[in-house]
Amino acid sequence: MNRTGSLRPRILFIVTLGLGLVGCSNNPNPPEWNEDGTWYGALAADLTNLDPNVSYTATDGVISDLIYPSYLHFNYLKAAPWSVEPNIGLTEPVRVPFKGVTHTDKGDIPFEGERWDFELRHDLMFQDDPCFPVGKGRPVTAKDMEYSFKRDDNPKVEFPLEGNLSDKVLGWKEYRKGFEKNGNANYDQPFEGFKTYPENPYKFSILCNQKYPQLKYIMAMHFTTPVPREAVEKYGDGFKLFHPVGCGPYKLQEYSPRDKIVLVPNENCTMATYPGTWGPGVPEEARQDAGKKLSRHRIVVKIIVEPVTSYSLFNQGYLDTTSVGTTNSHFMLPATKPGSDMTKRGITIQYGAYPSIDYCGFNMEDNVFGGYKLEKKQLRQAIALSIDSKAYIETVYHGMGNPSEFIIPPGLAGYDKGYQNPYRQYDPSLKKAKELLTEAGYPNGVSKKTGERLVLNFDTYVESPIDRARSRLMTKQISALGIQVVTRDTTYPTFVDKTNHKKIQFFYWGWVADYPDAENFCMLMFSQNVSPGPNNTVYNNPAYDKLFLQMQAMDDGPQRNEIVKKMRDLSVEDCPIIYLSENQFPTVFQPWVKNKFANPILNDVLEYRAVDSKRRQALQNEWNAPSYGLLIATLVIVVVGAIPAFQTVQRRRGRTVRKPAGGEKD
Amino acid sequence: MIRYIIRRLLYMIPTLIGVSLLTFLLFFGIFSPETVARRNLSAKTPTQEQITTWIKEHGYDKPPVEQFKRHMDSLLRMNFGKSDKTKEVIWDRIHEGALPSFELASLSFLVTLGFGLFLAVVAAYLRGSYIDSVTMALAVVFMSIPIVVYVVGLQFLFGKILKYGPIAGYEPGIWGLRFMVLPVLVGLVSGAGYYVRLYRTFLLDETGQDYVRTARAKGVAENAVLFKHVLKNAMIPVVTTTVSAIPTLILGNLVLESFFGIPGLGSYLVNAISAQDFAVVRAMVYLGTLLYIFGLILTDVLYAALDPRVRLQ
Repeated sequence: MNRTGSLRPRILFIVTLGLGLVGCSNNPNPPEWNEDGTWYGALAADLTNLDPNVSYTATDGVISDLIYPSYLHFNYLKAAPWSVEPNIGLTEPVRVPFKGVTHTDKGDIPFEGERWDFELRHDLMFQDDPCFPVGKGRPVTAKDMEYSFKRDDNPKVEFPLEGNLSDKVLGWKEYRKGFEKNGNANYDQPFEGFKTYPENPYKFSILCNQKYPQLKYIMAMHFTTPVPREAVEKYGDGFKLFHPVGCGPYKLQEYSPRDKIVLVPNENCTMATYPGTWGPGVPEEARQDAGKKLSRHRIVVKIIVEPVTSYSLFNQGYLDTTSVGTTNSHFMLPATKPGSDMTKRGITIQYGAYPSIDYCGFNMEDNVFGGYKLEKKQLRQAIALSIDSKAYIETVYHGMGNPSEFIIPPGLAGYDKGYQNPYRQYDPSLKKAKELLTEAGYPNGVSKKTGERLVLNFDTYVESPIDRARSRLMTKQISALGIQVVTRDTTYPTFVDKTNHKKIQFFYWGWVADYPDAENFCMLMFSQNVSPGPNNTVYNNPAYDKLFLQMQAMDDGPQRNEIVKKMRDLSVEDCPIIYLSENQFPTVFQPWVKNKFANPILNDVLEYRAVDSKRRQALQNEWNAPSYGLLIATLVIVVVGAIPAFQTVQRRRGRTVRKPAGGEKD
Repeated sequence: MIRYIIRRLLYMIPTLIGVSLLTFLLFFGIFSPETVARRNLSAKTPTQEQITTWIKEHGYDKPPVEQFKRHMDSLLRMNFGKSDKTKEVIWDRIHEGALPSFELASLSFLVTLGFGLFLAVVAAYLRGSYIDSVTMALAVVFMSIPIVVYVVGLQFLFGKILKYGPIAGYEPGIWGLRFMVLPVLVGLVSGAGYYVRLYRTFLLDETGQDYVRTARAKGVAENAVLFKHVLKNAMIPVVTTTVSAIPTLILGNLVLESFFGIPGLGSYLVNAISAQDFAVVRAMVYLGTLLYIFGLILTDVLYAALDPRVRLQ
């Protein structure tokens, strides 16, 4: 009796605990935050760096662009083509041509340069932070822009676009050398390429030694945001992740590594209105707040590395939006098809464009597949014709994308919608491909000279099942020509290392735009950018280079497009690259999300989106009403199944081999 | 025993140096400092100047012997420095991540151990009955299924069908225990089978011993034989297998933490290897070795404490 009696409290405890768990809400978010319009999003990777002069990953950008606004920014409602507009800038930048002279050892070299004049808004304030006197944010001036620009030029800061500016901004290289000599005291030295005006503390100019139309995009990135020197000096390395100090609409309240990031409105930021103009195809629901002042709310971004988990949370209604990529498209896309459970609940999917392409490339310095002779070109063209882009897009992206004909993706000036690349028109019979292969000296993939089968080493990285599927698909397709394909799969870092050292023959790669300009794609074949630069095919065609230098300095327009066409025709015949796909980036929205529009080129999209918290609450409750039937059925089965066991235990409990003589003593 | 412990602690020094040297050689045997710099710099295509500056800043331009001496010096003083990638203080990250990892791993471990031991006792007690057969068959089945299947299956069951409790997230404190239910359950169903089979074997080994036969011959009841004699002696191998698992309680569980959004240390080392963040790799390997050595010393000490026949010399 005593034993049974002592068990009762334990059983009661377990039952109470079980009921408690069953009864508790499955909402992982604090109830009070659920009601106040807090936005819930997710990132698939942890933050690496929020320093605006360094931060370069898309995940970091989602957070840093809310804290660090740029002079210009992309209009949320204009996509493909994209448009930049003043953000913390009072006016559009003004470009003034000027003539100058560069002093070199070989004498003076004249140049036709360009001065870009800017003026900041006069009402900008940094967020309150202990780095400022009395902890109160101070006004932002052109001096903060100058400090940021000088940081970009500091070799210790690791500015990622250094290569873009170093040969264009006046005095860049000289100022950079000053850091070696003076250390951080160099910040107090003047910088030839950056001018401030004592009579107007908000005005500044950037001086370039050539026409540099892409500067407007650099000024739309957080790399050129105003940075308070006090914060960098106070926090040191802490400025990179835990103590960002900016003048943007939000400030960091909490960063818990591998868990979540909490942003709250920056009370010192008075700007930000919802865009008043929009591009074609913007849905009515995204235009309802056009021109209105934005309402601010708390933003919680969870770090959820597993796509299955973020899908499950989104499905329950505990994330307001989620994006679709290669890792989750195989279940997200079917789940959001018309007529699915999600769409019946009002969940919507929007396909957004981001300038990017996937491609395969040949090492143009390779003895077998490289070179510029006719038979080498024909060999590459034959292989290009054997790869089916549609099958590639289906396998890798589950249909999210379109076959690519050239290096410039849609939405960019210079993109030719009607163009058909003669070496990317896949024919399942491979007739033309086989003809070209024969003309190249390899009928059915066997060398006419040696009688040996042609071997193509395919260098790629495999870090996920999708990578493996992609590798298998392309191997199978090229093998149909009779070529033996040897896949050399490695990890991503090893692959990058091999491409940088040109230890590759044929490889798979992709490019995501730094900014939406054709120059940012055409430079992938510019000979001055060869590996370890972005030109991994090591393509070197002087005619192409000459045209590139011309187009680089031109503004968008018909003349520039004509040059791009010439570059296209040259490079397509040489065939260093096999274009695969122009990708799409869908976003899935809950029904309570306001201002739904997928424009993935913007990092600061969360500034524009909001939730109808009452509707969210109601739908979350409706979708997550607990089900007790299965629990009861399981308990019944367990109890019934355990009865025979208890009976057996009872039978054996007092069983002995023989009756003890004097009772148990041990 | 004191002498034994001191000797084991002294053995620890060459072991730690050896493991650190192996890590150093393997890491820089595979990756050159330039590769590491490229991986850690944020630019897609960093310039040679940026690479050289980075290598110099992080001391990877020094001769390997000097580098290793510097690494070893800081490791022995438990000064792990800053991450090569994020520049954050490694100890801070370990402090933050160790608690959630420990919370999840210890709960999962204790529940799995307790449940596994309970079922092992039941199966051993009812040896040869259908309950024993069913328990053993289920243990094999549950052991054979990959943990990811349980994660996805139970997240679906709890998230979509039953709708009890949160399926992912973390919160410190008692209220945060609700986030631990599902990962602990996954740990239980995926791990209990191993313990059931192992402990049942230990228990059955003991039941074949002479002292058990003697007790039975004296007429001691089966319950008393099992709970007073067999279980006590079977605890020795149980303790051995249990204590050696201690390092994993702090270093975290990659799968459970990733799927359930628990900000522990499970992915810290794996991500550092992928990011070629040598500062973190060497620190985590060193810490893991240290914990493992302490776990083994503790096992030996407990072994001696539990079994009077064992003497530590």
